[in-house]
Amino acid sequence: MLIGTLVGVLPGIGPAGAMALLLPATFRFPVTSTLIMLAGIYYGVQYGGSTTSILVNIPGEASSVITCLDGYQMARQGRAGPALGIAAWGSFIAGTIANIGLMLVAVPLARAALSFGPPEYFALMCTGLIIVTYLAQGSILKALMMALVGIILGSIGLDVITGLPRFTFGINELTDGVGIIPLVMGLFGISEIFFNLERSLEREIYRTRLRNLWPSLKDWAQAKWAIARGSIIGFFLGILPGGGAVISPFVAYAVEKKVAKNPERFGKGAIEGVASPESANNAAAGGSLIPLLSLGIPPNPIMAIFFSALIIHGIQPGPLLIKQNPDLFWGLVASLYLGNVLLLLLNLPLIGMWVKVLEIPYKLLFPLILLFCLIGAYSMHNVVFDLYVMIFFGVMGWIMRKFGYEAAPLILAYVLGPMLEQALRQSLLISQGSFMIFISRPISGIALVFAFLLLLSNLIPYFKKRRKQYEEFKE
Amino acid sequence: MKTLDQTSSLFWLLVSLSVFFESIRLGIGTPQNPGMGFLTFGASGILGVLSIILFLGASFQKGEAKALPLFAGKLWKRILFVLVLLITYSRVMPILGYLISTFLLMILLFWVLERKRTGWILISSVLTTLLTYLIFSKWLSCQFPDGLFGF
Repeated sequence: MLIGTLVGVLPGIGPAGAMALLLPATFRFPVTSTLIMLAGIYYGVQYGGSTTSILVNIPGEASSVITCLDGYQMARQGRAGPALGIAAWGSFIAGTIANIGLMLVAVPLARAALSFGPPEYFALMCTGLIIVTYLAQGSILKALMMALVGIILGSIGLDVITGLPRFTFGINELTDGVGIIPLVMGLFGISEIFFNLERSLEREIYRTRLRNLWPSLKDWAQAKWAIARGSIIGFFLGILPGGGAVISPFVAYAVEKKVAKNPERFGKGAIEGVASPESANNAAAGGSLIPLLSLGIPPNPIMAIFFSALIIHGIQPGPLLIKQNPDLFWGLVASLYLGNVLLLLLNLPLIGMWVKVLEIPYKLLFPLILLFCLIGAYSMHNVVFDLYVMIFFGVMGWIMRKFGYEAAPLILAYVLGPMLEQALRQSLLISQGSFMIFISRPISGIALVFAFLLLLSNLIPYFKKRRKQYEEFKE
Repeated sequence: MKTLDQTSSLFWLLVSLSVFFESIRLGIGTPQNPGMGFLTFGASGILGVLSIILFLGASFQKGEAKALPLFAGKLWKRILFVLVLLITYSRVMPILGYLISTFLLMILLFWVLERKRTGWILISSVLTTLLTYLIFSKWLSCQFPDGLFGF
């Protein structure tokens, strides 16, 4: 959790990179400990990300971007303490609500999922991919292209059904496919370092005395419903395939602004503008464990790393996971409760230390992050080839970023690719080649129609623009 | 963004065509019995179509016609230097072993942004190398190559 908070505090290496980095170190741990550690990092990142948003106006993580708006303004008004305090308390409350939701929803969903066949899985995975591309920060077209590149990358190696090699170009090391650790390290870690090396690396910390970390009664009165709404929105968006901790804070903030009596306060230091998104990102972190643990479908790139961790430890994610490994599931749930309390107890008194961490110059940090990436990529299989793969994807990720392509859909599609292919081919074998199997079954039909409508909805702004142009022309 | 989109779409079109023809070579099978190249055939086909849409969209886009500077300023030389270092490190580590190659790498990496304080660079490099060796090799049992000198 401390590592997670550190990662959250430091801009430069995200949760995906940190998890990928530490994954090889967990090979000797039991699977439950591995999952607990990864979950701790994920939760810790959500807690830590707010510190930089509030004090530096630079989001430590993508999930803390929106916190900058009101958090930094609060800091400038000498209210950094209550901002950090309500962020931590909101995260704690939301994390607890998400844990309760995880317990209540995961087990029945896993039972229901036992009746799912390959068509349902195919449709749910397609929907997840479409939602990820729909929620992309840049061009949806480019996000879709990245998802397709991810599917192609995921197909490198042995064919899931025949067991024959494909797209290996005669390179023996590619027979096992492209490793997720070098891929994630390259796309998130190395590319981020390259991106930072190109820029001026000075950052200014807003120097203020950190006092009143315990929010006042007035603060609580203003923030309580924001925390409740943020938690619920975050939890449900976290469950959705393609959702997660990145999108939910934006939605929660927008909702909060909409329901506020004085929306003009937002962006000028409204405490609800900190409480709501910070609650939402923690609740989403908990909610996104549900599709992974009960369906075996990772809903976002972070969960894709969880998925890989399970596979590496010989656990097959799917509806039977909770039934066959109850100690794993309940151990994880218990650790999430404990972790939430620990994060609150540790982070509030340690905020001064995290502020000091922020002052570490990047010239010292970047060689260390690079070295950790190299060690992480190498220690997965102890082969130098993985280092080349990481460097290749590092350069690719850096260039992709310049060209406006996002890595998140690629990673998710890369992990889902082999499962997607297996589900597609099995479905077609079952239906003897009829694609109607995906429409005729209710769950897969609804999921695919939803995904199709979502795709179509992208065309609405285009038609609106054309209509406007036509009307202007007519006038 | 216009020229960048045109360039990148052409690149992805090339990738999609390569995968498309390789998928056909692998065998796409039939819907009743999908082959090894079935999914990649479809994925590369759609990728190709989307690349063409992106290219056409960028070509008919009004406004800015020039490419944004991809390598703005002089700082991209740092990246090139770090990239060469990483490739050299990957090549040299199995020969020189983890300790020596990492020590050399760290000296050069610290030197990239901090060129004046030689003593600081040397001490930081030694400490980083030894600490990571102790943590990852001794504590977490990662197997680093010993190299020619046996350490």
